[in-house]
Amino acid sequence: MQAMIWEEVKALVDDRIDDGWFSVHKRAFTAQEVFDLEMRHVFEGGWVFLGMASQLPNSHDYLTTTVGRVPVVVMRDGEGALGAYINACTHKGALICHKRTGSGRLHVCRYHSWSFDSAGKNVAVKAMKDGAYSDAFKAFDRNLVRLAAFADYRGFLFGSLVETCPIEEHLGEARHMLDLAADQGEDGLELVPGEVIFTYDGNWKLQLENCADAYHFTSAHPSYLQLVEKRRREEKANSVKSVWGENSAWSEITEGVTGGTYAFEEGHVVNWQIIPLSDTVPLADRAEILAARHGEKRRDWMVNMRNVTIFPNMQIAENASSQLRIIRPVAPGLTEMRTFCIAPKGESSEARRKRIRNYEDFFNPTGMATPDDTVSYADCQDGHANPSQPWILGYSRGMTSVQQGADAFADVLNMTPDRSQPCGSQLCDETLFHSYYRAWLARLQIGMERDA
Amino acid sequence: MITRAEAEDLIARESLALDRCDWDGWLALFTEDCCYWMPSWRDEETPTQDPQSELSLIWYQGRHNLEDRVWRVKSGLSVASVPLMRTSHHVSNILVEGEDRVVASFAVHVHNTKRRGDHVFFGRYEYRLVREGDALKIAEKKILLMNDYIPAVADFYML
Repeated sequence: MQAMIWEEVKALVDDRIDDGWFSVHKRAFTAQEVFDLEMRHVFEGGWVFLGMASQLPNSHDYLTTTVGRVPVVVMRDGEGALGAYINACTHKGALICHKRTGSGRLHVCRYHSWSFDSAGKNVAVKAMKDGAYSDAFKAFDRNLVRLAAFADYRGFLFGSLVETCPIEEHLGEARHMLDLAADQGEDGLELVPGEVIFTYDGNWKLQLENCADAYHFTSAHPSYLQLVEKRRREEKANSVKSVWGENSAWSEITEGVTGGTYAFEEGHVVNWQIIPLSDTVPLADRAEILAARHGEKRRDWMVNMRNVTIFPNMQIAENASSQLRIIRPVAPGLTEMRTFCIAPKGESSEARRKRIRNYEDFFNPTGMATPDDTVSYADCQDGHANPSQPWILGYSRGMTSVQQGADAFADVLNMTPDRSQPCGSQLCDETLFHSYYRAWLARLQIGMERDA
Repeated sequence: MITRAEAEDLIARESLALDRCDWDGWLALFTEDCCYWMPSWRDEETPTQDPQSELSLIWYQGRHNLEDRVWRVKSGLSVASVPLMRTSHHVSNILVEGEDRVVASFAVHVHNTKRRGDHVFFGRYEYRLVREGDALKIAEKKILLMNDYIPAVADFYML
């Protein structure tokens, strides 16, 4: 397989916004050589999301994940400080931490018993004295390899295998979206016990797009929406009541601005809708407390639907419930999704129950909405094998109405996105995806130039 | 007291109803206020225990929720359900434990005609059965899915 040169990679995105044109070549979704470059330069070449600090409540706790193809462990040391390391013994490369989350003061490699403490320090080499090691070996750094960059932004943990900008710079104005999540609990956020992992037969960027895609909602989810409406009508006991039954921001009958999108630097985006406060909202019983603490307008933003993508691998979808997703590309046509119900610590058991029930119904691969998305991604992946018309036409809605900078809704948060698209229910902006592909190309360019 | 023969008969009828897409026949095996529960997993070794404070893959109280799920796969409105996958339920190790509890091991073979692939979901069923008149019905069904690494879709009829 011939490696691609930068000019070929760059040509996969036809970004001619002044001509009213933006498109992505289908090969960006299907080619193994593109995927290999993405792993090296997008995922292993800049900030990616690792997990939540709340997964490691105590000293010596750890969580394992991957950064691109590289196994990574985040550990809390004996002093309580977090660190991120390559999860591989420096001797022969065997994995050191074996569970998704766990705990241990000392991690003894199962293969040859080199041991490492929870700060990644190599504290023992088995039979060091009798090993007849050279001075060169003894002088070599045998500690677990630290990630080049690691940061904890309000409990959201990020890491990078290469030296890069400060996390505040990476998140930029999109940090306001993480703040809206983190501020919902006085003591921050936690993951509800129970991780759900699923795969789909499609490229990882299909998930990136779908989260921010209002256009598919009424097309892909009519079975879910009709059931929500039926349950609202029938008012049976033990039926899941969804926020989607209490508002019609997605429907054709609404008028005026019902939501919109924001696109940020570095490839982060959000697609949002106004959701009125009602009993179906898990935050309802703390609505007044949140208004007192953060002001009514900011509280209302917490209630609004927000589908946030922090490029390249993290999404928080807050609508009928609240989901944290970690996207892990496996192959050009295979993606693994690690998903969690994320919730403010200390909410009432009734609010938590509401959140969980809506989550299961909507978000789970065993539920009634997500499978209709993921099966559609596989359909797209199949259809992308189309050499006759290789350009995707899904980046054009909103082209003539998108505005630079903030809108009135962003002003409430003192947030200055790159672009805003306040709109009615039927506009369904697609220009926010442009930011994904600009960030994608930027990481690829930096990495390919570094390697050249 | 429930006999093993009765339990085996009920579970076989349930399996065949699902494999034959006899949805009404399947629903009729459950009590109106039945609990249908498939926990998720807290970690590698422990399934979630409390569906009110922990996440399940599916948790419903009331047969009407199962009726909703049946409606959805029949509606033609669900991308994931057209075409339906073909299934073959195989249930073994059926034992009555105590007065009304039945445990069993399951393997459900699923064929995805569209993607030309096969998958097997496996794990254990735990039932609580009750008598309604002459009929034995399912008051509780818990599905402990061992391979919770789900290829895009795992709907009720595949479990």
